[in-house]
Amino acid sequence: MTTATNLRAVPFARRFMSFTWLVIGFVVLVMVAFAFIQPSILVDTLVTGGMWALMAGGLALVFGVMNIPNFAHGEFFMIGSLVAFTVFVPIQEALLDNPDSVVLKVAGPFPGIIVAAVVGFLCGVLLEVLLFRPLRKRSREQWVMNTFLLTAGVSVLLVNSDRLLFGNDFRGITRYWDVKPIEILGVSVSVDRAMVFVIAMIMIAVFAVFLQRTRMGRAMRAVSQDETGAQMAGIDLNRIFVLTMGLSCALAALAGAALLFMYPSFPDVGIQPLYLAWYVVILAGLGNVQGAIIGAFIVALLQTLAVYYVGLGWVDVLPTAFIILILLFKPSGLFGSEVKGVWEQ
Amino acid sequence: MLQLTGVEAGYDLLQVLWGVDLRVEEGEFVALLGPNGAGKTTTLRTIAGFVPSIRGSITFRGEPLDGVLPHKVSAIGIGYVSESLNLFPAMSVYENLLVGAYAVRDRARISSTIDFVFELFPRLLERRDQLAGTLSGGERKMLAIGRGLMPSPSLLLVDEPSLGLAPMATLTAFEALKQLHARGVTILLVEQNVNTTLHLVDRAYVLEQGRIVLEGTGQQLLGNNHVQEAYLGI
Repeated sequence: MTTATNLRAVPFARRFMSFTWLVIGFVVLVMVAFAFIQPSILVDTLVTGGMWALMAGGLALVFGVMNIPNFAHGEFFMIGSLVAFTVFVPIQEALLDNPDSVVLKVAGPFPGIIVAAVVGFLCGVLLEVLLFRPLRKRSREQWVMNTFLLTAGVSVLLVNSDRLLFGNDFRGITRYWDVKPIEILGVSVSVDRAMVFVIAMIMIAVFAVFLQRTRMGRAMRAVSQDETGAQMAGIDLNRIFVLTMGLSCALAALAGAALLFMYPSFPDVGIQPLYLAWYVVILAGLGNVQGAIIGAFIVALLQTLAVYYVGLGWVDVLPTAFIILILLFKPSGLFGSEVKGVWEQ
Repeated sequence: MLQLTGVEAGYDLLQVLWGVDLRVEEGEFVALLGPNGAGKTTTLRTIAGFVPSIRGSITFRGEPLDGVLPHKVSAIGIGYVSESLNLFPAMSVYENLLVGAYAVRDRARISSTIDFVFELFPRLLERRDQLAGTLSGGERKMLAIGRGLMPSPSLLLVDEPSLGLAPMATLTAFEALKQLHARGVTILLVEQNVNTTLHLVDRAYVLEQGRIVLEGTGQQLLGNNHVQEAYLGI
């Protein structure tokens, strides 16, 4: 009776022979190569890549599970930065009053980032319950097109609500952690940037484990692969949709909050992250979260290379050119396949 | 156990069922036979909650089943193995089974049910870590039945297990159903393979143009003139 747990049919080595791992290997190799020539390229790639991975991962998840091309995804980045700003400023003032408080200095930025993620989650839940669920009940014809228009409308609505309620100002901070930069590979990196990388890595790891190992994560993948089959297995679709949307928006808001020192909050701040996330998702193959995370680092690497060797104005040109090239030869994206899997094995 | 009275159902403008009366008793093995387009699959889909019924009533153990959502139907003990199987192609065999046990919280019970499924279909154990999308047709059927068994349903609805299978694989599938029935699972089977099915089941219904036209034990129907002419080609 215990045979089920003893047998391992797939040899360890073969698990890593897939195309996905080849691409990962190649990207890592390129990054390491540049690390010798110009270590700051590696550092910049990792920092920005980590955040685009959170944005693109959420976008891919929602497309994979719910078939929604979310063009309001950037607005959750905006909401995250706004919430983080609102929470962090009083803390920063408190820090000015007691400059010796180690607790405030070290832990001060976290409440803002955490509250931003929670608010993002709630906004996602509201979006699903108030908009997508009624639409789903009424008609599932032309679903992708309808939800595209719906999310584009939500985007306009949120941007202008922000403008109406909070004005057209930049609300930013210069830094989260008021401490000296640290040295990594001989490159001076501000603690804020290092923390962005650490937060991104932790979130990606938690996200990956959630999708692969937990009951809810598995149910999410099941819904993305076969909705009917998932229902037959006793999965409540509405519950999964609420959770998916919430999670995706929480990741976007988290990214917005963590990057507040680079992207001050203002109504249109979500536009650039939104398009970057779309670049990544199109490059990786729609609805593939794992691919989106790898793609985020590829796009970040190309952006960094453009900044270092071509010029700041080329920052979006290099990634888009690369995406066009990939799509010419592999129209379904780098990791796209016939099977929609959200997270491939 | 399961009782359908005058059930009418269909899709948008197309009504398929025009008054289906059907009953399955605890521990029975019942077949629903009939030609293509008679409404066999629609009957199962209506029971499973995927198609709303327009008129009539469906009860399971005395509780009404009309308007109950599919995942709730699964939760009250009705397993459904559809014609198209609806497996999760990018998940391993093992994970498909785990998802099948979504509603089960007891880990020990999950692993003992998985062991039971692997015992029933040793082939699935060999393919444990293979993606469901790469399985053969017969193996997919086994996996679909296995996944349907994961919540330990008291009633299993099986739609055309023989569809698209080689004779040997069909036999395996039927053999598995026989074993399940022997272990106390009540089964409602939809089939086109009339001869084999009638030898296998306790009772059968014949569905034609959305209505039940015949009912009887397997032997009775094998001897029936209409069945012999229309389905057995005698």
